[in-house]
Amino acid sequence: MKPKVSEADIDRMVAQAGLPLSADQKRVLYDAYWMLEGMIARVNQPLPREAEPAHLFIVEDVR
Amino acid sequence: MTDEFLTIAEAARLIAAKKLSPVELAKACLGRIEEKDDTLHSFILVTKDRALSDARAAEARMMAAALKGPLDGIPIGHKDIYCTAGIPTTAHSKLLEGNIPTQDATVVRRWTEAGTVLLGKLATHEFAMGGPSFDLPWPPARNPWNPEHFTSGSSSGTGAAVAAGLILGGTGSDTGGSIRGPAALCGIVGIKPTYGLVSRTGVLPLSFSMDHAGPLAWTVEDCALLLQGMAGHDPTDPASANRQVPDFTADLAKGAKGLRIGVVRHFFEADHPASPGTRQGIDQALQVLERLGAEVREVKLSPLADYHACGYLILISEAYAVHEPWMKTRFNDYGELLRDRLALGAFIRAVDYVQALRRRRLLCEEMRTAMADLDILVSASQPAEAPPIAAVPKWGSLEKPSLTMPFNLTGYPAMSVCTGFGEGGLPVSMQLIAKPFQEPTLFRAAHVHEAATAWRKRRPMPASRQAA
Repeated sequence: MKPKVSEADIDRMVAQAGLPLSADQKRVLYDAYWMLEGMIARVNQPLPREAEPAHLFIVEDVR
Repeated sequence: MTDEFLTIAEAARLIAAKKLSPVELAKACLGRIEEKDDTLHSFILVTKDRALSDARAAEARMMAAALKGPLDGIPIGHKDIYCTAGIPTTAHSKLLEGNIPTQDATVVRRWTEAGTVLLGKLATHEFAMGGPSFDLPWPPARNPWNPEHFTSGSSSGTGAAVAAGLILGGTGSDTGGSIRGPAALCGIVGIKPTYGLVSRTGVLPLSFSMDHAGPLAWTVEDCALLLQGMAGHDPTDPASANRQVPDFTADLAKGAKGLRIGVVRHFFEADHPASPGTRQGIDQALQVLERLGAEVREVKLSPLADYHACGYLILISEAYAVHEPWMKTRFNDYGELLRDRLALGAFIRAVDYVQALRRRRLLCEEMRTAMADLDILVSASQPAEAPPIAAVPKWGSLEKPSLTMPFNLTGYPAMSVCTGFGEGGLPVSMQLIAKPFQEPTLFRAAHVHEAATAWRKRRPMPASRQAA
């Protein structure tokens, strides 16, 4: 599958991150990016306003 | 007698009775390492002198009737992301070649204080994420049931070394399944404890809110004994829970009667379909538990992909934050698998990370509600038997949702136990999950199954002088 972003978008993201990647290395990330897009879409489904992240993740003690 | 594969519990009883010499036990393990590890590559470094020194000290305590407990004189190894004072700790990476910590990780110190015998440092996927890799200074560990096959990772060396009897137990870390995966594919037992139960101080981080430290061993009881020596509050770990540590072996003999078990069948039948052998193993295990008095019913949670997406985005964002300085300056010193996997973390926006954290809270609440009237959840820990090591895909953890990730995300204790052997003759497994800090119940359920089945009697790569 192809990602929604273009190869030029990946180039920009790599440059913004300051990563020293070759063209081949960028192409590898471009080819995989559609899978990351799917995950990002999943976590961006609507959330209730009260769904607040904990400041520090600590599991509850449930008995 | 040291030709035999002993469990920790068996060895501890023999040492306590002065019927087994810790020095002879250590020498037997070192002999097996010499015999088998050229094939398995489970060790990055064998610390022979240290092992014999530790063993002689344990033997002196044995003779003086001053043993420290059931781990005294037990040969172990540490995953090579656990810092060991004066002993190289490399994370299986060129970036840390020659790194010699000045302090032990808290868990390393606790096991040393308990009298364990350190045999060496164990292979891992690079920085607990990049593997199996063939472009690192050390080769990847191989599966003792068939060395052409994968161990899973990232606690790959520990899984292989325990299964082959090179050590009696060892440490692992689990950020998305890195203890339970090798336990599953190597046919042993591994537990990812509740988040906060075991200190991560001195364990090289991958993802701060997902990392868990825990043990791998041949049996459930051995894992309980090892966890006893690891657990407890550590003020130097900001996520460490300040609470009393229970006796993890206390409930082992309580049986299945009254245990309420929920099976998350859609995880391994629809969301990430497991092999027929894996499903059959789980079904047979559930029948055993039911026959012995457990109540079993089905439970429905959000799709596995929801848990996986949330966990993976948090993991990769936090991992990139850990590695960013080297990613910018030493990118090509990482192995190809790790650098490519980590690089995706640079592309995740802050808002997506925060949305994942918010969703995490909802999924934690869902899990809490689902387990309100249950003691144990059951799922698969791996979808199938070990694949050939050469066939493991770079993006496997992106392509299909991980069966283990939900319990890193929620912090619930989870373990993998062997349920037999699949169509290819390699181990299959199931995953058991308990409520937070209810490890004794988890060990109880797992032990019931283990005691009622014969899977612990079969070992890979039997010693040359042992009957096959």
